[in-house]
Amino acid sequence: MSFNDTLVIETKGLEKSFGNVKVLQGVDLSVKQNSIFGFLGPNGAGKTTTMKILLGLIRPTGGSGSIFGRDIVQESVAIRERIGYLPQQPRFIEYMSARENLEFTAAFFYTGPKSKIRMRCDEMLELVGLTDKAERPIRTFSGGEKQRLGIALAQVNYPDLLILDEPASALDPLGRQEVLEIMQRLRKHTSIFYSTHILDDVQRVSDSVAILNHGKVVASGPIELILNGQGSIIYCMTIKGEPEGLGEKLANLSWVTQTSVSQHNGSSLWQISVNDEVEAETNLLRYVLADEMITVTEFNRKKYELEEVFMEVIKGDGNGR
Amino acid sequence: MADSIQLNHVKEWSVLRGFTNLLHKESRAWWGTRRWWINAILWPILLCGLMANMLFVPAIANLASEAEISQAGSLTAYVIQMGLSVFFEFGMIALGIGAIILLQDSIIGEKQSGTAEWLLSKPVVPRAYVLAKFVGNTLAVLSLLLGGPIIIAYSMLSIRLGELFPARPFLLAAGIMTVHTLFYLALTLMLGTIFSTRGPVLGIGLASILGGNLLGGLFKPLFYVTPWILPKTASLSASGLSLPPEMGIIPLTTTFIWIPIFILLAIIKFENIEL
Repeated sequence: MSFNDTLVIETKGLEKSFGNVKVLQGVDLSVKQNSIFGFLGPNGAGKTTTMKILLGLIRPTGGSGSIFGRDIVQESVAIRERIGYLPQQPRFIEYMSARENLEFTAAFFYTGPKSKIRMRCDEMLELVGLTDKAERPIRTFSGGEKQRLGIALAQVNYPDLLILDEPASALDPLGRQEVLEIMQRLRKHTSIFYSTHILDDVQRVSDSVAILNHGKVVASGPIELILNGQGSIIYCMTIKGEPEGLGEKLANLSWVTQTSVSQHNGSSLWQISVNDEVEAETNLLRYVLADEMITVTEFNRKKYELEEVFMEVIKGDGNGR
Repeated sequence: MADSIQLNHVKEWSVLRGFTNLLHKESRAWWGTRRWWINAILWPILLCGLMANMLFVPAIANLASEAEISQAGSLTAYVIQMGLSVFFEFGMIALGIGAIILLQDSIIGEKQSGTAEWLLSKPVVPRAYVLAKFVGNTLAVLSLLLGGPIIIAYSMLSIRLGELFPARPFLLAAGIMTVHTLFYLALTLMLGTIFSTRGPVLGIGLASILGGNLLGGLFKPLFYVTPWILPKTASLSASGLSLPPEMGIIPLTTTFIWIPIFILLAIIKFENIEL
């Protein structure tokens, strides 16, 4: 991914309470320019609240935040000039057609010329594959079509940041696929900050993620780092042959914390937990291969599925309760 | 994609950012729609139909006693008085109720559906949202609910009189009718920002318009600070009578003052609302 280090969103200790209920408890976020940032969390974790605070629709009770370096409370209107937003359930002006909705939305940003606004709307309809449905009443649209139109409305001003609240969660697999493809297409033009609880989608398109649980960020960072696991570093090795006493030898190494082995099709699969990544990368394979009676057919650092990481951090957070 | 199609950016007074486009939306919700046609037809029939009965149906005029006719001066003066009374007294209450019903959902509906949240995620200031609602609906209501019926009513009065009906008292009464309707428009809009369900908006609005006379009868000073006596004021003003301040200028002025107060309160409430 080609994204730079400029931050489009930065929050520090963001808090929000509704009465005595603390919905957000010190949320720190850093979203880089031109990245696709997945904002994960179970239902009720505070994802939508965070997004609404970023948009200036609700006010934080503590902490601070900025988008494009501007304060999210004091300079909200100026920020919204450069943002596109797709709510969890996209909203339209029901008595207008898809094109009219686009023209209406565009008129918040542009005055004309009319022919060019129309061209922009055509471009958006093409982007989301709704050109042939431009004049249809909104009520005849399927859920997936509404979602795609919602993205077109959010993108009509060529925003520097797209905020998408659960853009694919209400859709069938085909609809989800279409939405993810649109997000992929948009990534070279804009930064995307989106919330979801569909972990497969995040793993497929995101550069970075933050996992929110009960108002707290319990894990965040580039997706690669997150998929390396939280805390424990595990290397996987597939060995052919008879590795005599390998477990004991490994256990004697100061940087190895745990080993486990299982048999599979005449090979043994070793999982070796370490506490020193550099030491392991430099010496682990060499150490094992010193035994000439064995062959290592596979060696890699264990990659987690996002779902595993997600469950691990959510459970590690005491399910947030 | 970026900059492939160059467009002129909106240059709008930042204090009212988003107003023009939102006003356009509010107007489009009326003009040329089924709602527009229904109201354009219903209100002249409702208000002017009843007045026409008074003015042109002999059977109704025949119900008048000799004393009533002599008090009015002539049969024509009597039926005109009756016509004015029906048009302004009944008409203003009907218009007030109409304004409440037509606007009760305007803000609450958009708050509940999430449309308000979506609109305010654009470069829009909350006050522009409230003002566009007020201005857009006021233009529609005044032109559809009041404009047509007032012109038709004046024409009918002139036909019945056999000459042009005195314009000044009629316009004064029409002005009072307008202020009265604006009061209920502004009240309903303000209540829409305060409450999140339709019940209280309808309840308070209708209680005011239907129960106001009763309350004012129990405690007279209430008539000075409310629009409750204005239907009577309009009806008598249209007849050319000059009214004491407590029946004319005082309630008219206070009602007029309430309108910007309601709008201001609606703006303050909406600027602090969390969607």
